[in-house]
Amino acid sequence: MSLRLGILGLLTSGPLHGYEVKQQFEEILAGTWDLNIGSVYQMLQRLERDGLVQPSGSRGDRGRQEFVATEEGRRLFDEWLDNPDKQPELLREEIYVKVLLLALQREPDTARILKVLDNQRHAYLQRLRDLADQERAVQGTSSGQTGSPLALLFQAGRLHTEASLKWIDACVEQLSRN
Amino acid sequence: MNAIVVMQNVSRLFAENSGVAALDGISLDIERGEFAAVVGPSGSGKSTLLNLIAGLDRPTSGRVEVCGIDVGGASESALAKHRRKGVGFVFQFFNLIESLTVLENVMVPAELAGVRRGKAKARALEQLDELGAAELARRYPETLSGGQRQRVALARALINAPDLVLADEPTGALDTRSGKNVMDLLAGMNEAGQTVVLVTHDIKLAASYGRRILTLRDGRLADDTRLSVQRTGTAADLIGWTAEGR
Repeated sequence: MSLRLGILGLLTSGPLHGYEVKQQFEEILAGTWDLNIGSVYQMLQRLERDGLVQPSGSRGDRGRQEFVATEEGRRLFDEWLDNPDKQPELLREEIYVKVLLLALQREPDTARILKVLDNQRHAYLQRLRDLADQERAVQGTSSGQTGSPLALLFQAGRLHTEASLKWIDACVEQLSRN
Repeated sequence: MNAIVVMQNVSRLFAENSGVAALDGISLDIERGEFAAVVGPSGSGKSTLLNLIAGLDRPTSGRVEVCGIDVGGASESALAKHRRKGVGFVFQFFNLIESLTVLENVMVPAELAGVRRGKAKARALEQLDELGAAELARRYPETLSGGQRQRVALARALINAPDLVLADEPTGALDTRSGKNVMDLLAGMNEAGQTVVLVTHDIKLAASYGRRILTLRDGRLADDTRLSVQRTGTAADLIGWTAEGR
């Protein structure tokens, strides 16, 4: 995910100085992201150079300069929002390739495939647990309440993991039947 | 080791001499204080397993010992006592008695266990209060929401301070929020030392609350996984924003 669009997005809702950008990002992600302030300033400079953000008002105390999205910046951000992800489904995890390669062998070793799937299943179960624990850890905070962006993100994570587990169960069922 | 449930090579046929096994050679122990979740597709034997632990059913072969009682060999009266005092049940559809008030519903297991009415009433009120449902005491089940009904059912399950709480799809008929409240209550009981066995088809629910996931397939124990609390994988990791921030 691009930091460029993330920062631009924050600056479409009003002027912020670099430190506030860092703070807002960290708040959205419940402090799980330690954003380097240097990267923020660097990105603000690039966005300004590209005409997507501009300085707002005069430098405040301690020389802090606020930035806000330009018309061009808003247009670019809106365009990005309005364009859904259209690339083909991406199955990024290695388990798919592992199963594929094992199944393609001249004499596929079903027991081995089942073992590989079993190990992955354990990892997915633990992942569900970790997501639930993470979610519980932030639930008391303002950014982690039910319906908050962060809660929705954890929900997405859990549903994706559930789908992976269902796929593994389907594989196991089909392989055991043969 | 202090096992509350011991199963050794347990099988249960669907019907006597049917030859078709609902459970097929299950061996497992559940320790006191565990939160175990039993998962598997429908027909995998989850409910049969729970019924054996509850003493509602007996094994065709093998040994089932729950709270020190041999479920296969115990007399009917010993099993009935086990069901009344040893275990607390929570069901998907609550199973409250519609003609009784909430308070009376919660009192039922205590009175069945021989507790005098006055004492049963005091205990029921206390239990409802602990679950934040004291204000529901005089109402009838039909006037309650699903979440409130399940809270009452939990109070009923706990009134005899059972060693074991058995929950069969306890959130199946609830909306997300009420379901979460009920699961949080079960988790709270477990933290207080209660052994909980949850049966569910919802793997998310199982892994979010259970410390141990027992997977059944075709009547067999296909997997037994213990989960740890390791707090890895943050919100930022989920959307792949970590690397760029550093």
